[in-house]
Amino acid sequence: MFALADCNNFFASCERVFRPELNGKPVIVLSNNDGCAVARSNEAKALGIKMGDPFFKIKGLVERNGVAVFSGNFPLYGDMSRRVQAVLREAAPSVEVYSIDEAFLDLRGMDVDFDRFAKDLSARCRKLTAIPVSVGVAPTKTLAKIASKLCKQYPKLQGGCYMHREEDIEKVLRKFPVADVWGIGRRSVKKLETMGVKTAWDYRNLHPSAVRALFALPGWRTWQELRGIPCIEFEDIVEGKQSICVSRSFAHEITTLPELREQVANFAESAVSKLRQQHSLCLEMAVFAYTNRFKTDAPQTFGSALMSFPDGTADHRAFVTAAMQATAETFREGYAYKKAGVVITKLVAAADQTPSLFADTAAEARDERLSTALDNLNAAYGRGIVRFGVQGDGKVLSAREHQSPHYTTRWDDLPKVKV
Amino acid sequence: MQKFEPYPLEEQAPFEGALMGDIKAGFPSPAEDVREKLDLTELLVRHRASTFFFRVDGVSMVDAGMDEGDILIVDRAVDPYNGCKAVCFIDGEYTVKQVEIGPQGVRLLPANGTNAKYKPIVVRPEDEFLVWGVVTYIIKKV
Repeated sequence: MFALADCNNFFASCERVFRPELNGKPVIVLSNNDGCAVARSNEAKALGIKMGDPFFKIKGLVERNGVAVFSGNFPLYGDMSRRVQAVLREAAPSVEVYSIDEAFLDLRGMDVDFDRFAKDLSARCRKLTAIPVSVGVAPTKTLAKIASKLCKQYPKLQGGCYMHREEDIEKVLRKFPVADVWGIGRRSVKKLETMGVKTAWDYRNLHPSAVRALFALPGWRTWQELRGIPCIEFEDIVEGKQSICVSRSFAHEITTLPELREQVANFAESAVSKLRQQHSLCLEMAVFAYTNRFKTDAPQTFGSALMSFPDGTADHRAFVTAAMQATAETFREGYAYKKAGVVITKLVAAADQTPSLFADTAAEARDERLSTALDNLNAAYGRGIVRFGVQGDGKVLSAREHQSPHYTTRWDDLPKVKV
Repeated sequence: MQKFEPYPLEEQAPFEGALMGDIKAGFPSPAEDVREKLDLTELLVRHRASTFFFRVDGVSMVDAGMDEGDILIVDRAVDPYNGCKAVCFIDGEYTVKQVEIGPQGVRLLPANGTNAKYKPIVVRPEDEFLVWGVVTYIIKKV
């Protein structure tokens, strides 16, 4: 058996942890720069607020209904996510963290009442962390995901659902839209529509050779998983990412090169720090910047420049230098840039990279010591404590008007309690 | 599910390690193999997942050792018990009081004998009330 533990409306639930008065009230969380709604409490969903709704469009609705609005507070969400994961890890020997608010548990070999297990685990997460969590248990990961969605639909399941009897699975799949099945992409949905496949049950009843012909391996796996045959690997060891992207839209538009350089330098630093954490090198980096697509009366541009590192690098200085060169190539006078970013690709494990024949190994070792010292200082005294001049004050220009305090990650932000 | 395993502490050692490596000692330290150290977190935080910190604002609990500005360590894994000091949520506000749980129901008792301003709060059935977490330690600056 596998379980999927999914935090309900996670960001909105995090905002409620220290604001219990918001229980039962509509809450939304906005994306970076307060752009659009990325999390909604059930009450906000009931008002008709959709995922991705631009904030300016729903402002009236928000004000009329007293919706509590928050800018993303990612340090808080990250901390709450680690707490939930810790509770999950004590319940099962191996846990695959799938995203900030979802984790799979491998229950193979466990001999327990799985329905009780699911409900108890949900209750325990709630008690210890104050986060509501839905736990679905089923013979495959794909079915477990469906079972966890049922918990959200039916409160009487008390946060836990064990779905294993053939007749129960059929009943559920007959009502479950195929587009909501894990692993079914948007393009597949279009194909399926033309074939009259609407529910997960319809998909499961397709002829196996048709599935293999039309949807290749991922679709084939999903088909088997819906039939209760586990074939999606359990990955409790997360491999390093294959690419890293750090990008933001700005609070106000940027029209000068020095301003853009400062922002991009911060993105590059953030990207290289992530790269170093996973002990990888990258062979290629791209910088991009574009104007506000919604301002149709202003001149539009989308620029990007690619830099390559034939021997691979994860050196702070090499990175920022290359990013600055790419920024200069990208920037064009006379445009108001709204968003920019750094993407690094072609990542290889640092240990696997053979050194170039012509490399100056002494200089490389020295550079590596410098980069490591920078990592250590920033880890010990806070990110950005030592930075490049071009990074300015090290802050990214972004609007976060409605951000809640960093309750659990900053001493100055601890929740105050009237005594 | 009884055993609680704290989530891994982000190893805060890299800096220390870097400095240690540079020390050129004349003879190997006999203490090297028996590194032992005291970690305050280990003492004060029993359950990492369920422990939260709050800052004291007010003086109703001075007799219980809670002064303005102190940091309270609050553990949601601890079940509320009669006489516990806890962060409670009542009528839209947080408060810390001693929780008296008896046959007559729940009362929240202040601990400031000299100030008549603070009276016990009787929790009525219709009140929106919850015990958010039990206070396990107080950190104060002397």
